[in-house]
Amino acid sequence: MNWDQLQLKPRIISAVQRAHLKSFREVLVSSEPDLQKMTGLSRPDVQELLHAAASACRTRQPITALQLQRGECRRLESGLRLGTGCPVLDQLLRGGLPAGGVTELAGASGAGKTQLGLQLCLSVQYPVEHGGLSAGALYICTEDPFPIRRLQQLISEQPSLRSDVPPSLIGRLRFSDNIYLEHAADLDSLQVCLSRRAALLLAQGRVRLVVVDSVAALFRSEFQPGDWLERNKQLLTVSSMVHHLSHEFTTPVLCINQVTDVFHQPESSSSSPSSSVSPALGLAWANQVTVRLMLRRLQATVSRGDQSSALRRLEVVFAPHLAQSSRDVAVWREGLRGVLDPVLDPVLAPFGPDVAQQKMVLPLRLGSV
Amino acid sequence: MRRPVSSLSLGSSLKGKLVRAGFQFATDLRDLNPEHLSAEAGVSQQEALEALQAASSGHGVAAVTALELLQKEEEFRSIVTFCSQLDEALGGGVPVGKVTEICGAPGVGKTQLCLQLAVDVQVPAVFGGLGGQVLFVDTEGGFQVQRLVDLAGAAVRHCSLLAEDEEQRVAMTTFTVETILSNVFLVRCRDYVELLAELHLLPDFLPDRPRLRLLVIDSVAFPFLHLHDDLSQRTRLLQGLGLRLIAAATDHNIAVVTTNHMTTRLRGSQAQLVPALGDLWGHAPSIRLLLRWEESRRLASIVKSPGHMDATVQYQITCQGFRDADQSEQPQSKRPRTQTDQSASSRENTRT
Repeated sequence: MNWDQLQLKPRIISAVQRAHLKSFREVLVSSEPDLQKMTGLSRPDVQELLHAAASACRTRQPITALQLQRGECRRLESGLRLGTGCPVLDQLLRGGLPAGGVTELAGASGAGKTQLGLQLCLSVQYPVEHGGLSAGALYICTEDPFPIRRLQQLISEQPSLRSDVPPSLIGRLRFSDNIYLEHAADLDSLQVCLSRRAALLLAQGRVRLVVVDSVAALFRSEFQPGDWLERNKQLLTVSSMVHHLSHEFTTPVLCINQVTDVFHQPESSSSSPSSSVSPALGLAWANQVTVRLMLRRLQATVSRGDQSSALRRLEVVFAPHLAQSSRDVAVWREGLRGVLDPVLDPVLAPFGPDVAQQKMVLPLRLGSV
Repeated sequence: MRRPVSSLSLGSSLKGKLVRAGFQFATDLRDLNPEHLSAEAGVSQQEALEALQAASSGHGVAAVTALELLQKEEEFRSIVTFCSQLDEALGGGVPVGKVTEICGAPGVGKTQLCLQLAVDVQVPAVFGGLGGQVLFVDTEGGFQVQRLVDLAGAAVRHCSLLAEDEEQRVAMTTFTVETILSNVFLVRCRDYVELLAELHLLPDFLPDRPRLRLLVIDSVAFPFLHLHDDLSQRTRLLQGLGLRLIAAATDHNIAVVTTNHMTTRLRGSQAQLVPALGDLWGHAPSIRLLLRWEESRRLASIVKSPGHMDATVQYQITCQGFRDADQSEQPQSKRPRTQTDQSASSRENTRT
């Protein structure tokens, strides 16, 4: 630690060195009386030391929102969004996943979460003007083996999904080369993977998307019900790692989560209204998430030509920049696509709670935004 | 508090003469004129003047009367939230000069309210606002410029509809989305050390910006949650942080708004949702707003305030921002007031 770079009086620097204070951070977390005791400096000197350490710790000066909007500080607010490849879903997400922050995708088994994860691994590889980030993806599996065949199918059907992109461009992209697979069987290996492998790939610019499929699997298997304190600590550790990666490298991180049944809503204060399932891992994890999406399988089906798909609903549960709304989604050969006008099966119409819930949500006046 | 003459900053011989003449306390000297004093104490006119000056000025802070405080408080307006029911319950809005905390579960609208306040503090004085600037400290990454633009646009439209006289129309020329964005200063802190550093540097930042009226920290909980290994250090740091925020609020006349997470606390066999960071942190804010869901409604409760009654109001978050709940959207209950009272009283019972 080079204290000389701080431009302090020599006696302060020598006192700090005598006290074996190793970093600015150590200085900042100690209280003034403690510092006085450790260094033997007077109060004004200690304040000067704290001031200098704080200035050194600060990464950048405050900048105005106007400068951010104009794109003057790309590190803080890149304005980038990772599109999903479907214009209906992109409209729901106002462009796509935000590039700095952790997005959670929760849903029951079979809802289509892995499908969306795969689709994003492909859409990230397109250039920025087509909703991508011009880089690959890191896919960390924790439970099921990676669905390689489905990925191959999605790759071959890309021209059909991305009709907005010139086929020559799609032909040039080597999709499978840019998707890095990792398997993490337990929490320790997940942490190692995030801190080493992910950081390395991100630093090299080879990936601009990290998908963890799924977060819940590791936590649910490793801890006894009574160990929730330890579990929360581990949750916070993993969360701080993904947040750090996300902000350091301006990368969207998608964490896929399972759901638990909710038997009764005791105070209704923690979850949004009327759903019989809620994302797993509880409040501790929910507090760490920037954008929460839920994917639910509905009772209806839609058909298109020779294909038919169970209808799903992708819902924005909360997000700092999105209204609470949802879109119906179908899973085809080429991937997930939003369905604007589902062919109404008689089953869908009287599907009480969901439709009623949608009525409760305030209509988003798109024109005025 | 009666100050003894011996504690005044005068020469010791002068002090000795004053004491021997019978002047024990500074108040004894107050109402005398210099000739009287020099005659009584046997000191020169010059020294008498000096003594009187020392007695009437004081070291440190002069006591302020409650009336002066009240007048000072009334001078400073509050920051409206654009939800009129909440503003009414708060007596005008979020008060300047105090620390207000907003607690709630994820997704209930804490960041939205903070963004709304960041826009509302800039409303020109002719419309009843403060025309101030805001420093937004973001620790979670929830600050999205896109959303601020939405809110700013809605506020500008709202005020331009209200503009009646010439003064207000002139004020509208400087109240545009661009100027609103230019008055919001953003700092991103990635961990608690950066947050502490930022607050250390606050006394330098504030004097340069006399128009700054709002400091938002969204959220205080997020960086400190990661400090779960050393709880005593966390408590100590939070205490220091709290004191710094209170000092910034009172010394510089700014409204400090912090957001906090909710956490579960086990009481016997019952799990209860309480604000995070512990009871000691709970002493730092003077006002605590609790945002929560109840079925599909969003409710805001004032749970701690020295100056206001505990109250619960319904709000909603539209694409334009934080607003009153639409009256037509109220549930079928024919007695909406009683319902909110019920929920407020049930909240009283579960709180301890």
